[in-house]
Amino acid sequence: MLSEIVFYVNDSKVSFIGDPLTRLIDVLREDLHLTGVKEGCGEGECGACSVLKDGKLVTSCIIPVGAVSGSRIYTIEGIRDTEKGRCIIDAFAEGGAVQCGFCIPGMVMAAYALLSSNPHPTETEIRKGISGNICRCTGYDLIVESIRLASEKGGDLWA
Amino acid sequence: MGMTYVPTTLSEALHLRAEKGARPLAGGSDMMVQSKRGIALAPEFPYPVMIITSIDELRGIRVLDDGSVEIGALTTAAEIAASEDVPWHVRMAASGMGAIALRNSATIGGNIGNASPKGDLPQPLIMLDASVVLSSIHGERRMLLDDFILGSKRTALSDDEIIRSVIIPPHDFTYSFYRKIGMRKANAISKLSLSAAALVKDGEILDFRASSGAAGPKVIRSQDAEKMLEGHMVSEIPELLPAFLEAWNNAISPHAMPLYRRNTTKRMLSFFLSEISSGAEEGIIGGGEE
Ligand SMILES: Cc1cc2nc3c(=O)[nH]c(=O)nc-3n(C[C@H](O)[C@H](O)[C@H](O)COP(=O)(O)OP(=O)(O)OC[C@H]3O[C@@H](n4cnc5c(N)ncnc54)[C@H](O)[C@@H]3O)c2cc1C
Ligand code: FES
Ligand code: FES
Repeated sequence: MLSEIVFYVNDSKVSFIGDPLTRLIDVLREDLHLTGVKEGCGEGECGACSVLKDGKLVTSCIIPVGAVSGSRIYTIEGIRDTEKGRCIIDAFAEGGAVQCGFCIPGMVMAAYALLSSNPHPTETEIRKGISGNICRCTGYDLIVESIRLASEKGGDLWA
Repeated sequence: MGMTYVPTTLSEALHLRAEKGARPLAGGSDMMVQSKRGIALAPEFPYPVMIITSIDELRGIRVLDDGSVEIGALTTAAEIAASEDVPWHVRMAASGMGAIALRNSATIGGNIGNASPKGDLPQPLIMLDASVVLSSIHGERRMLLDDFILGSKRTALSDDEIIRSVIIPPHDFTYSFYRKIGMRKANAISKLSLSAAALVKDGEILDFRASSGAAGPKVIRSQDAEKMLEGHMVSEIPELLPAFLEAWNNAISPHAMPLYRRNTTKRMLSFFLSEISSGAEEGIIGGGEE
């Protein structure tokens, strides 16, 4: 039985003591001040709170912290200065993918997960990869195009 | 508000279940949403909860000696969709669940435990005669999934049990069909789904099955209708079709499904059967996700 939840966030070790039902998003935002993780719907529908858990995209608003024992979590803050993270963020800027920006951290995480498992996705695959991420501003086309750009420019980075 | 526990072994969890009445929380994609209280607030439950995601014994997919496939309760929709060992109909249903982040959280144990008529996995599993393995401190029992799900949000799970795994017996199909019709939105929940399969040898239908989901309180399957085709030749399908569709329709409880869904279901079934009777190439017929 675990009384303390130990896990890793952006390569730092975190020990959580408290209610294991505390939502992962609240630990990330309130305790660790990782405010790049956004809360839109709070019910797994919009993807604004997307993070990587052991390399896989998950929505941190529906995961209790008690479910991430031993996991490696990455948020936008943990990937934005990596080569892959930079590649996506630059492509989003170049491709004009960002308007209000609220959905963008989640979109970047979704793009990161997609390109890491599928370096050269088709347009349909890109749309599927971000289909759990809602953007109220852009109409998606520029985001899709920017992810394609990141795939192209990143080259071997994603292989 | 109850206590929350995080057991790391099955035996610990079974004791918590029996002694504290703790209910399992797996992916949390149903429970966390149903009991959410808002920003910076942990969900609250009126009963004790145990987060079971640290129990490795509940993970993994394995092929048993008799060719059955056993899927651990904590296996996610994404893992099921990606596994070559899992039968095609179940993989299709898993890959159509929500968007990728949801599939990385949602577990098969949670999908069955929740017993929502909108859940995608019970439908193909019931067609394949899958059973659930239920564990308690007193041991294990196994029952058909079709018997385990009693109705909308109701299961035969006892207060001291947890779902350990799902076992799908081996099967052999010549033709397979799967289709989910939902809203055109990734995180949409299924409105109507149909699985169908047939084993045909030298023109004779040796096995025929179909099941329909999100259509009523329970997955619909009619073994009476299925038997009307078994043992007949594919060339007889056109004659048998009207009576078969009638029997299938009768298996659906009167108020369970609006007319348009009944008609869509019938259309899909007659499409599948017509393809078989007109000598379609073996394999997957039409189908897929819409
Ligand atoms: C945005 C969104 C989209 C969704 N889309 C779909 C969809 O397309 N198709 C679909 O079918 N569902 C969908 N769902 C519903 C949900 O994701 C699924 O039902 C999922 O499989 C539930 O699994 P979980 O592990 O998250 O369940 P949890 O929320 O952890 O548990 C659900 C129930 O099962 C019980 N339970 C869990 N594990 C066990 C066990 N081992 N033994 C006994 N009881 C257990 C729990 O006590 C609880 O009652 C969606 C949900 C969300 C939030
Ligand atoms: S805030 Fe988590 S999915 Fe919308
Ligand atoms: S840029 Fe505003 S929500 Fe996507």
